[in-house]
Amino acid sequence: MSDRVAARTFREFLDVLEEGDETNRVADEISWDLEASAITMLANELDDRIPVFERVESAVDGARLVGDPYRGPRRRPWDRFARALGLDAGLSGPAYYEAVIDRLRSPHEPTVVEASAAPCKEVVRTGDAASLLEFPWPYIHQGDGGRYANLATLVAPDPDGDWENWSHHRAMIHAASQASVLFLAGEQVPNLYYYEYERRDEPMPVALAIGAGPAVEAASRMWIPVGRSEAAFAGGLQDAPVELVECETNDLHVPASAEVVVEGRVLPNERLDEGPFGDYFGYMNGPRRSMPVLEVDAITHRRSPYLPFCVEGSGVGYSRNSSSTFQTAASGPDATLGLRAAGFDVEMAVPWDFTSRIVWVIATERSYPGTLHELANFIFTTWGMLHIDFFVFVDADVNPLDPRAVLEAIALHADPDRDFHQFGVERMPKVPLNIYQTPDEKGSATVGTSKSKTAKAYVDALSDGSRPVQTIGDRTERERARELLAEAGVDEAIFDHHAGGDR
Amino acid sequence: MTAFRNHLGFLRKTDDLESLERPESPSPQVVAAEALRANGPALQFTTDGSSLGLASGVYGGVDQLQRRDRCPWTRLGIGLGVDRDPAYVDVLEALLALGRRLDERDVTYVARAASTTDLNVRDLEFPTPPDETWPRFTLGVLSVGADEGSYWAPIHGTVIDDRTLRARVPGAITDRLEQGDAVSVALGVPSEALAATYLLAVTDRLSTPIEDRGVGAAVPVVPTAGGVVPSSAEVVLETTVADQQPETRSEKREFWERLVDGTTLTLEVDDVFARDDAVVPFTPLGVPLSDDLLLVTLATAATLFDRVNSYWGVSPVEWLLLPVEGRLGICFVATETLYAGFEWQLANFLFSLSDCFDKVVVVDGETSPRNFGRVLGDIWVKAHPSRDWLFSEPNAPSARMPTYHSEGDTGARLYVDATWDPRWDDEYIAPRVSVTDSYPPEIRDAVFESWADLGFESDLEGDL
Repeated sequence: MSDRVAARTFREFLDVLEEGDETNRVADEISWDLEASAITMLANELDDRIPVFERVESAVDGARLVGDPYRGPRRRPWDRFARALGLDAGLSGPAYYEAVIDRLRSPHEPTVVEASAAPCKEVVRTGDAASLLEFPWPYIHQGDGGRYANLATLVAPDPDGDWENWSHHRAMIHAASQASVLFLAGEQVPNLYYYEYERRDEPMPVALAIGAGPAVEAASRMWIPVGRSEAAFAGGLQDAPVELVECETNDLHVPASAEVVVEGRVLPNERLDEGPFGDYFGYMNGPRRSMPVLEVDAITHRRSPYLPFCVEGSGVGYSRNSSSTFQTAASGPDATLGLRAAGFDVEMAVPWDFTSRIVWVIATERSYPGTLHELANFIFTTWGMLHIDFFVFVDADVNPLDPRAVLEAIALHADPDRDFHQFGVERMPKVPLNIYQTPDEKGSATVGTSKSKTAKAYVDALSDGSRPVQTIGDRTERERARELLAEAGVDEAIFDHHAGGDR
Repeated sequence: MTAFRNHLGFLRKTDDLESLERPESPSPQVVAAEALRANGPALQFTTDGSSLGLASGVYGGVDQLQRRDRCPWTRLGIGLGVDRDPAYVDVLEALLALGRRLDERDVTYVARAASTTDLNVRDLEFPTPPDETWPRFTLGVLSVGADEGSYWAPIHGTVIDDRTLRARVPGAITDRLEQGDAVSVALGVPSEALAATYLLAVTDRLSTPIEDRGVGAAVPVVPTAGGVVPSSAEVVLETTVADQQPETRSEKREFWERLVDGTTLTLEVDDVFARDDAVVPFTPLGVPLSDDLLLVTLATAATLFDRVNSYWGVSPVEWLLLPVEGRLGICFVATETLYAGFEWQLANFLFSLSDCFDKVVVVDGETSPRNFGRVLGDIWVKAHPSRDWLFSEPNAPSARMPTYHSEGDTGARLYVDATWDPRWDDEYIAPRVSVTDSYPPEIRDAVFESWADLGFESDLEGDL
């Protein structure tokens, strides 16, 4: 049950943050050229408030930047999301996962509104009047190939569904009407482009929705089965239908509340450079690749639009950013539900705190001989194919959100002889973003996977019943102990999920 | 040298110690364990003077799985007088210095701070853990006197009655004992004394008098009925080895007993000496982040760090960490890769030096040990899933800390090479994304300078 209505738009999400005094509205004029992202990265590192840059150098129409708005607090990364979705404040990590899973089990079909009721149509520019260069897209890292729109939902046709397909792809700005988009074969929309539209020599209509609100952003990063609609799951997340509006120049529908919508086509058989870029691994990846071209047909936006962006690569180690938070707060519950729906006895599937797209931790029982192999095989051949290299399986009573318990499990329960399983050695597809591949291995393949194949692995860190003691005293004694500590002045916030490995 | 009570004072000054009244219920061990679970502050349990003051979590108490302003070695480093924000390697070096053999003794004798009391050992009211019958003491130092000097060893145990302690000590020390011998137990000793005792115990170096070790010159001592003990000890128990030594197997273990054989020793307490408002450290046993575990991990890490940097004629290893969270089951080492294949040599050398772990992770030396979060990312990001996770045949001696081996088993060893391949051209090496690496100095400096003016509140100190 929810305490209140979810934030359905990006501006309502900012209001939620404002209520918690979690934004810092920066009044000084800031440059999009590394300065905004340097400030954001520092705020990410220090777990400080979310920067909202009210005055951005060279911005037209009062456009503003927001640095990593979805970044969660270091200790409880799901917290802001929980409040944004109208869930009870103070949920434990496992309880938050179950609450989101409940929401995902009850999708709401979207509704379509008239253009006059759509905030994203407050300003409409088409044809030559639509220019990407009027917006202060940030130059994020020294050495990046260009300026990026990297916190956006890409809306594309879905031949198998009632609504469009939403996914997350970054776009590197090249000119007033052109950008390159990172399309990695193996993901649904790139597959549609490479193996359908491009083979037919047809442009694929798309729209980039920027600042479409937390549920839309979250759904676009989830692995939604073919034939199901991200829009409906976003509606489930926010417990209300997402309002859509038709595009100006194609038949697609986009979230009506989006701050900016870039309408266009991904052209067949044309490529532009993409990258290098400081990526989610926490390193710059290179070399430049050739990626498909987005040709802009129209740009619509709210007045004084907010342009949220992510300082990619800063969500590793101890720090968080929007991407790592989406992994923990959205992809984790979604994957947990997906694995359960596939028949696996999974308590939680959670991205590893320190590099959230490469490693996942799954709490499960060993239900039958071969369970873990089957789980790994299922994931590596479906949604985990491109980005995830490792799974760590832990006991069902271990909280995968507690890295202390996970590290202990790897150290004490994973036998190098029997419990480390390399999977499809040098046979698996891989994104060309990895830093452990040489430039030659990454190649510049036209469909966006590496030239060479790679391997995956899983680690069986289940204890077989030999887990060390985690607590002493019974539950009542432990609760009383925490009360005494709080009375003595110990900050109660420390008694969150990191306070122990047991769920 | 920092007396134990002064160590508590320093922790309080750094806002890392909270006081609370010693509760009747739950047991202080439960409170201490809950503080450890939450990476809480060190605790001092105060009393009205009728019983012993207690302190927990005063040597370690935190993990490295969140960015914090304290590290697992901070509190011990403060106790050792390294610094109020000690560097990890400095703490290791300080530990090593305490265990080094001296060419010449330099012992300082100072009068005992503890006074004679008419208390019996039960009057001290050591805390009783839940589900246990007898009060328990931990983190003690046993001193055995001999003509050539004194021998110190870790001791912990239970109070059976007014006069009787049933204690656990290293088996090696009992070779020096006979029934009726006088031995002393010191509690609430300076960090140097306790840390050195653990270091010497887990490295099997109990056969040299402490007067001939660095600790003998660092800690002022006083003769007692047993051997010498630290003069500033909060509590000293003068005891006699009991005539009857019942064979028991069920006593709980401190973590050093995972590395060296321990044995049960029954002692009759003859005299109790205590300082005014005495306060002694204790730790719950078996739980994560306990102080006995921390002392063993640091002692073992220091020893391995010294060995690997004393072997090749150069010192390529920047730091070596046995994370307390991993209970000695995994070793992380940051090194310069001297040549192709060096990481293989280093990892396997470590396996030959220690039988605790069967997993070694090798990372580049540029990463600070404070930034363990980065290491926990790099393992998976920099190491290729098949080429850089390297397993031995399963015919190596099995490691003793993991849970999956039975006695007599052999096992495999794994090392993860999360370093850049020294054969790679520079162009292959991906630059790191960080505040330092991703922005030119003029932008970085401007952001740092204007940070507060921009409306942010957090401190800019620490590793970024």
